[in-house]
Amino acid sequence: MDSPLPPRPILVALGSEVRALRLIQAGFRLSRERAAPWIAVHVETGGSQLTEDAEQVQVWLQEAQRLGAGIRMVQASTLAQGLSEVTRSTGAQMLLLGRSRDRWPWARMGHSTADELQRRGLDTHIEVMDDRKQLSDSTASDTGFGAMVGALSVLAVSSGVAWLVPHEGSIALVLPVYLIAVTFIAHHWGQRLAVLASVLSALLYNFLLETPRFSHASAHWPNLLFFLAMLLAAQAVVGLLHRLRQQAREVHRREVHTASLYLLARALARCRTSEEVAAITAEHIRRAFKVEACLLFPQGPEWRAVPPPSLDPGLPPPDELLPRLDVGERPGDPLEPLSLGKTYCLSLMGTDRSEGVLQILPREPAGLPPGNWELLKVFAVQIALALERLRWLEEARKAQIESETERMRSTLLGAIGHDLRTPLAAIHGAAGSLLLPGDVTDSTRRDLLTMIQDESERLAHLLGNILDLTRLESGAIQIQKEWQPLEEVIGSALGRMEKRQGILPVRVELPEALSLVPLDAVLIEQLLVNLLTNAQRHAPGQEMELRAWNEPGWVHLEVADRGPGIPSGFQDRIFDKFFRLPGAREGGVGLGLAICRAIVQAHGGKIHAENRPGGGSRFRVALPLDGTPPEPPEGIL
Amino acid sequence: MNQPLILIIEDEESLRRFLIPTLSGHQYQVLSAATAHEGLAMARTHNPDLVLLDLGLPDQDGMAVLKDIRSWSRKPVVILSARNQERDKVLALDQGADDYLAKPFGAGELLARIRVALRHTLRAEVPEPIVSCGGLRIDLERREISLDGQSVKLTALEYRLLEALVRRQGKVATHSQLLAEVWGPGGEGNTHYLRIYMAMLRKKLEADPTRPKHFITEPNVGYRLILEAPGD
Repeated sequence: MDSPLPPRPILVALGSEVRALRLIQAGFRLSRERAAPWIAVHVETGGSQLTEDAEQVQVWLQEAQRLGAGIRMVQASTLAQGLSEVTRSTGAQMLLLGRSRDRWPWARMGHSTADELQRRGLDTHIEVMDDRKQLSDSTASDTGFGAMVGALSVLAVSSGVAWLVPHEGSIALVLPVYLIAVTFIAHHWGQRLAVLASVLSALLYNFLLETPRFSHASAHWPNLLFFLAMLLAAQAVVGLLHRLRQQAREVHRREVHTASLYLLARALARCRTSEEVAAITAEHIRRAFKVEACLLFPQGPEWRAVPPPSLDPGLPPPDELLPRLDVGERPGDPLEPLSLGKTYCLSLMGTDRSEGVLQILPREPAGLPPGNWELLKVFAVQIALALERLRWLEEARKAQIESETERMRSTLLGAIGHDLRTPLAAIHGAAGSLLLPGDVTDSTRRDLLTMIQDESERLAHLLGNILDLTRLESGAIQIQKEWQPLEEVIGSALGRMEKRQGILPVRVELPEALSLVPLDAVLIEQLLVNLLTNAQRHAPGQEMELRAWNEPGWVHLEVADRGPGIPSGFQDRIFDKFFRLPGAREGGVGLGLAICRAIVQAHGGKIHAENRPGGGSRFRVALPLDGTPPEPPEGIL
Repeated sequence: MNQPLILIIEDEESLRRFLIPTLSGHQYQVLSAATAHEGLAMARTHNPDLVLLDLGLPDQDGMAVLKDIRSWSRKPVVILSARNQERDKVLALDQGADDYLAKPFGAGELLARIRVALRHTLRAEVPEPIVSCGGLRIDLERREISLDGQSVKLTALEYRLLEALVRRQGKVATHSQLLAEVWGPGGEGNTHYLRIYMAMLRKKLEADPTRPKHFITEPNVGYRLILEAPGD
């Protein structure tokens, strides 16, 4: 072989059941072990699927996808057909599926999907994951008419067999036949029918098999023994099965719990806000427990209900409720739900305090099955921890902002100390020498006056920048977005600069089509002036480029120069307040680009800097075209 | 001609110290007041030809002073405002102020604004029939516009906008003033119409629409038509 063939994929067949999670985990593990790709397959067999099932299938498929699986959804008349198609088309090395849960034992024996797949002669290894005896809950139907008929048929068949057995009047040869029959009945239809069957089989034995046949006159001791044996066997089998069933149910319940907890925990880990936590939680609880759920949590001084409104408006407000939930009525276990009318309330107890209240409204009047409360309490802990985590994050963020403000304050003082004093000193000095008695030549006077003007302009500019940034960052500037042509604001920015400096070497490239952009003209003008001034400072006298182009949903602006470019590692830092490149020329105090970033952020846009191919740097701004553009006037565009 | 009388209503002493000698040095008579109360009294007794009004006065809102003056006089009022007060500026302009100066401003800018405002009172709102600057020539009487000798065709709305701007030549015109004049009542909300037509005018009448020489944007306030060479 010249090049190794890529490993054949592993297929995992998923339905809506809980065990799908185990299949997903097994598929993931196998694909890791064998370094093979894996594909999660769902076959829709066209039967009327419940929406909840469909939703659940989506959840599983997404989960598989998250773990790196490819996704296939196929439609086929039977599961086996669909799976064999996918297996053939993907050339899968292995097919992993859960044991089919057919209702009837004969179906389970002959026609299981796995067997059918085997018969189709696929070149693939079929692995059936055992469901640990997923026993259906049959106790409810054990006295039904069908069950009765079934039991009678079983007894009839076994009597026929017993008839054929040459028993020679000995009970020892007939007993096992009936024992098997009664065990079978006990297994499938439960205790009551099994007892009935024991009695019946004793009678049948007496009537059919005991010599003389077809008489029930004689009732001697072997018959009694027979009857007792049947009864004991039925009891033993039923007891055993009951235990097994309970175990299976417990296993299943735990599996359901683990799966729903797993899904919840994963969903919670991705939440960034308390609202998200609440919305996701309510949805999960609604699905997992088939109840209505609502989460109340504090937001500032208010309480928020998600989804709104609170389930029962008659309930006392959370502030009053929490003390009752936490200690009052049931000291020791703050997690125990408090029943208020139809609604149950649970405190979401975090590590140090309650993070909120979970309201549950069962859809059925009987309330929740007892086992579910335990799970719900575990849910509550998970939710509380998620809310707590977000609360701490928020507090950490606030603390960071505070320290940032503190840092800003001290840097500001530093900047004022140096950058404000220098021009002031120059102005003061120049004015003083102009006032000195004695002759000053006209040219000297002019120089000094020009210096006073330049320095005061620099001061004004600096102060303006500091004020702008402070206002922008504190949110004191109300951004006034209006739809307007980009060229207008470009024109006013260039106009403002050229009024002072004369014609600038700026090449402007704008798209021909006149499109409106929602922006605050004053701020965007400032942005352009700052970017152009920055370019000018780093590439004095050289040509600058100002370009704009459209993209669906965005408009892009670019200011590019042919200066020395940005040293690597500083592309982000140049937007920081008071940041100046090491060894930068005489220039600003490092506020211009910080203002640019604040302006762009206030517009909901993005800004970044990079080096240009061929030398120089470029600053790119993307502004969102949010909202609907206004109607153009008639006859235009 | 008499020297025009200018009343300065400004509470900052340093600004008054700059304004008074600058204006007196340029053949204007100057009166000054530090409060709204004093300013209004002086305005009533002296009837100045122009008022320089600071919006941030200690005793009363500058806007109230403006309203008071406008209730009895049509003499030009030029607003002195700080930066980032576009809303106040627009409000003042729509309340009848003639123009504004954003602090800090230079002497050249101050004198130019005062000149334009006084010229408008003398002309009493009747525009000269023919105005021209650089290559641009506008003949309102014959409805002929040309750029560098080439005749330019304008649509009816473009022409009405141009006319409104020429009437206010050199002065700022707010968005709402232009909308009301060109589109009539009910056009107030359609600022983007104005912007689009303005862009069309620039395309037709400016050598480089991204570097307008005549149709100047006053961001978030309005437009100003400049028809004189800088330094004129």
